[in-house]
Amino acid sequence: MTDLLRLLFNSLETGSVYALAALGIVLIFRTSRTTNFAQGMIGTFNAYIAAYLMLQYGFRIWLVALVALFTAFLTGIIIDTLIIRPAAKVSPISKQIITLGIIMVIIGILPWLFGVDTMTLPRFIPVRYSFLIYGADLRYNTIFVIVLSTILMAAMFWFIQYTKWGLATRVTASDETTSKLMGVPTKTVTMVSWATAAMLGTLAALFVAPRVSVYSNMLLTVQISAFFAGTLGGFSTFFGPVVGAFIISFARNFTQFYISDIWGNVIVYTSILVFLYFKPYGIFGKKPTKKV
Amino acid sequence: MSKPLLILDNVSMYFGGLKAVDNLSFTVNEGEIVGLIGPNGAGKTTVFNCVTQFYKNYEGDIYFSAASDKLDLRNCKVTDVIDQGLVRTFQNVELVADLSILENLLVGAHNQFQTGIVSHILRTKKAREEEKALREKAYEILKFLGIYEIRDLYVKGQPYGVMKKIEIARTLMSNPKMIILDEPAAGLNDRETDELETLIYEIKKKYNTTILLIEHDMGFVMNICDRIVAINFGKFLAMDTPKKIQQNKEVQEAYLGSDA
Amino acid sequence: MDILNKIERFFANISKQLSERPVLTFFLFGLVIASIGFLPHTGLIRWGTMGIFAYIIIFSVVAMGLNLLLGFSGLISLGTAGFVGAGALGLGVFMNMGIPFEIAAVLVLIISGLLGALIGLFSLKVEGIYLAIATLFVGEILRQIYTQVEIFGGQAIRIGSVRFLGFIELSMINQMQRSFLFLIITGFMVVMMVVMHNIVKSKTGRALMAMSRSQHAAQAMGISLLKYRLTAFVLATLFATFGGVMYGLYNQNVPTTAWTLDLSLFVIAMVIVGGLKSIYGTFLGVFIIYGIPNLWLKNYFGDISYIFSGILIILVIIFYPHGFVYIWYDLKKQYNRLKAYLSQKQVTQDE
Repeated sequence: MTDLLRLLFNSLETGSVYALAALGIVLIFRTSRTTNFAQGMIGTFNAYIAAYLMLQYGFRIWLVALVALFTAFLTGIIIDTLIIRPAAKVSPISKQIITLGIIMVIIGILPWLFGVDTMTLPRFIPVRYSFLIYGADLRYNTIFVIVLSTILMAAMFWFIQYTKWGLATRVTASDETTSKLMGVPTKTVTMVSWATAAMLGTLAALFVAPRVSVYSNMLLTVQISAFFAGTLGGFSTFFGPVVGAFIISFARNFTQFYISDIWGNVIVYTSILVFLYFKPYGIFGKKPTKKV
Repeated sequence: MSKPLLILDNVSMYFGGLKAVDNLSFTVNEGEIVGLIGPNGAGKTTVFNCVTQFYKNYEGDIYFSAASDKLDLRNCKVTDVIDQGLVRTFQNVELVADLSILENLLVGAHNQFQTGIVSHILRTKKAREEEKALREKAYEILKFLGIYEIRDLYVKGQPYGVMKKIEIARTLMSNPKMIILDEPAAGLNDRETDELETLIYEIKKKYNTTILLIEHDMGFVMNICDRIVAINFGKFLAMDTPKKIQQNKEVQEAYLGSDA
Repeated sequence: MDILNKIERFFANISKQLSERPVLTFFLFGLVIASIGFLPHTGLIRWGTMGIFAYIIIFSVVAMGLNLLLGFSGLISLGTAGFVGAGALGLGVFMNMGIPFEIAAVLVLIISGLLGALIGLFSLKVEGIYLAIATLFVGEILRQIYTQVEIFGGQAIRIGSVRFLGFIELSMINQMQRSFLFLIITGFMVVMMVVMHNIVKSKTGRALMAMSRSQHAAQAMGISLLKYRLTAFVLATLFATFGGVMYGLYNQNVPTTAWTLDLSLFVIAMVIVGGLKSIYGTFLGVFIIYGIPNLWLKNYFGDISYIFSGILIILVIIFYPHGFVYIWYDLKKQYNRLKAYLSQKQVTQDE
């Protein structure tokens, strides 16, 4: 019971982080037609800003987190304006490599701006605030991460589903050229998408940071899992990747605990591959059609 | 009367609840030029897609009697249809834009190659001779179509008329018994259309093939075809000589509406 | 003016001769590269520089395979690093079992080729981004196996000196022998260039392109998607694995942790930046992405050199979306414009 509960909360927490990252990736994929490999690195960059401010000026985590989210917003806008928009006509595969270019630029900037020392970020709610439930130690921070992510994602779905701007996002996602002709401000939509995705990535980074410390590859696992989540859930919906994120998080935690520490990932990945063979567009995805 | 080459026997094709082809039967005889006409959305391309086995889940039977007698095409994979001597063009020219014209023709000769990838890597004598022979064949076809001089240019950037010609040239590479042309004159100007007309006659004569085509340009169809099949909403209306088709009441109604 | 024309004619003549004899051109190119292997003895370049060129040679082979996939077949793989690792580590494992180099190499190639065929089968069902990420799955699975399974021996596998062709003992430690190793991998690269050239100029290359540009038309021409999807993935994995074998042969010590997504992405960057569908373009791409930073930028700027590489990638893709190798056409255009301008000037002067 204790183990089960611990695994449950742990999975919910990592699942939330994966889901945030996956949502960022699917947002970019839908509006800019590219797989954003830099999603994790953009989050990392802004986590660096937070950690640096904290280290240098002793600001509180809540404040630096807000600053980091703001800089993330700016990062997203800058990347869209300077890099993604000029490359609008480039093929999707080449665009992916552009995001690789972004990764390299950020890797180069990090030590230059922030030095080479590893930095840390604390949890939003310190570890000492926790309680026992059936012998499992449950931290308030864990609850905070799960609840905040859930609220944010719910708000995003509501926004996408029921507001004018949400509609603009959905139509841009389904057909950019037509949307543009119909007067949808696709440029703004794309820009805001990049900004939002950057903020989602940064939030994921801030949640992960206390566990792994702040370094350039801190979001690597999160990012790869987010891609997997997108594929598993299907890129053609916004909620599919979120579901995928939780499935992956649960599957990984449980196989690693109950089956094998070493082979856990391999087992999960292989089963997803087998699943994809039968459902090639994910759980909720649909096959695009082409006329001859 | 010459022997029947392509037989459609009660062919139906559904998309969801929509009946795109409805109990269609007709026969194309060896050496004929047959036109398939019908208003927009009549299911003409769907018929072609069934014949060439892009769609497998049609009802009824389609027989082709070139290589073997009355072969049920359903037993052919979509990639094996060309081996039977049945080859097609596409409505929106489907060429490889970043290969030269000559190489596009060699794509059409894909099923003629006997040698495999290992002999290509080693460039064995046999592989080189085979490639050379097929190139010669391509040259001949290109000369026949009058595009030999530009053979080494990329397809990309060629005028539409030339691309249509390349697609026809590509079909000739596979020694076809029957060529299916999907709107060969669409997008061509009057002069090019006239040229195409002569070309199709010459192809029929020189390569001894049967031709089945879809076309909206009625003047062109009436001029060129020996017989015409008219369909509407996937249903058979009539099959006859151009003159009689023009006088056919049902066909007139399909095109002009019943009040006309 | 006359001088320009003479130079032009001279080069036109050479380039005509060479383009008619591609294999000879690859061989000459290989000779130039091979000479780098002997320059350190003269003191003209450092040993480290030769090492960087060795990596360029290895990556060229890997990237050529990916070019077959990406440029010709329109398919993507994010699992390349896994297969390079398979080549290098697999070679190590087999050789440590006492199997001779050549047989070990063939064995890993067969195993990787089969895995590649599996991915090819998979690609018949799964497309686009889903396929890309499916290959990422494969890469990640392989990476997990390399880092966690014991036979790959923790941090690295030591191969030690290699007995080449059964009698030439070559060790990385000996400088002269290292030059010979360099010569051998250059030779391998030339062979792979010829192989790639022969494939893309044959029925297979044309079929791959036809398949990626229009599946329906390709099928109507008798091109089987099953066969050519498999061919594309098997070829790409074989090239990648062979690159890994070359890595093992040259370095004789193979790390288990180096085969990450980053490396796969770098290989894609090499192909796209250098030139899709171009063999020399691939080499150029490797040179730009790996060579330039490691040969020069890192010496002067350290880690900041990543910024330059990143910006370079972004700029090249925006301005040369099909690859930097196509700058050649722009240069030609500029040259013709210059010539036209000069001749016009001359005419006015004559008047």
